[in-house]
Amino acid sequence: MLGLVTSPWTVPDSPSSAAGHLLGFILGPAALLLSGVYLIAFSGHVPVGRLPRSDRRLGVMAFLIGFVWFIGMHWWNLTPALGGEVNRYWLVFWPTFLLLFTCLLSGAALSLRVIGDRRATESNVMWFASGFVLVLILLAMVVDGRHVDADTFRYHLWLAGADLLGTAVGLSISILVFGIIIFLHERSLPEPKSIAPPTDKEFAHVASIVAANLGGDENE
Amino acid sequence: MNEDRLVFTWRAMLLAFLLPLVLLFAMDLTMGGSLGAGTDSLPRFGNAILTSYTLGSLVLLGNLFFYADSRQRPLAPLFGMLSAALMGVVVTVVLLNQGSLLMEDNGSIRAQIFYNIVHMFVSAGAILLALALSLGFTFSTITAQKPRRTVFEEE
Repeated sequence: MLGLVTSPWTVPDSPSSAAGHLLGFILGPAALLLSGVYLIAFSGHVPVGRLPRSDRRLGVMAFLIGFVWFIGMHWWNLTPALGGEVNRYWLVFWPTFLLLFTCLLSGAALSLRVIGDRRATESNVMWFASGFVLVLILLAMVVDGRHVDADTFRYHLWLAGADLLGTAVGLSISILVFGIIIFLHERSLPEPKSIAPPTDKEFAHVASIVAANLGGDENE
Repeated sequence: MNEDRLVFTWRAMLLAFLLPLVLLFAMDLTMGGSLGAGTDSLPRFGNAILTSYTLGSLVLLGNLFFYADSRQRPLAPLFGMLSAALMGVVVTVVLLNQGSLLMEDNGSIRAQIFYNIVHMFVSAGAILLALALSLGFTFSTITAQKPRRTVFEEE
């Protein structure tokens, strides 16, 4: 990872240097978001490994700073730029992340409602979060940033949609092929050899083990 | 949960997952009607399928080593999966050779393949971050509520 992050200096003409440059830019806000969510989740009502209550405020702060940082990378001066131009992989990462995030939050909101038991409050929070990210996408589609205009974002948003769909299809095909190969191999294997039925001595041994592990009152 | 209810639940969850996408689609059509990338989405879609298939096959090929450990190390599935991964590489090269069918803003086939791989890693990063955050967010909303007590009725 260090090699990838330093690639803009070590191999400046390689396309991977743009990816390394992007990685260097998103490491900070991504780490803040992830650590924020971790602190919020485990400072709540968890039965084991509960963090102190003060960590909740720290988590909320980290999450908000991380999110505002990402938003600043789109609308403000923090956009990853390489050689005077916006890093091409930023235009891959940001729409893909936003699009999938709102879809996953929406799916999780309904899952909580239909699978969970009395989870309507939590589901509403998730709907709100999904709606918030959706509004953010809509704003990015109409409001120009300092370096990324609305038309560019819209163009890359649909490329991200095509990308996500293609990735899902490709991965599904590879898993299907994997399953077919395993199935064909297992089917070609000979039947396992039959073994002789247990003897009376073996039955008696099993019965003694079972008897040794049974116990308790009948009412239990 | 009976089977009909389960099927309904899965369909509803899939629809809920796709709902923001449909809303964005409708909004984009309302605002401009150009649907952003238009025909440029097709090469991206094709490249994403081929790259994710090939990389996914390679990852599953690695997974077969663990499978082989429990099956006296058979070679046939390894060769099968290796062939499947190579098929992905060959199909990619053949399709990229067909003029502008799958070529994006890259000068050569090698550059396009390399771009596809780097692009896939960047997309995978975005996907993993979105997955981790949505899971963490769901967990956070659950643990933020007051703990419940389940009262069991006496029989």
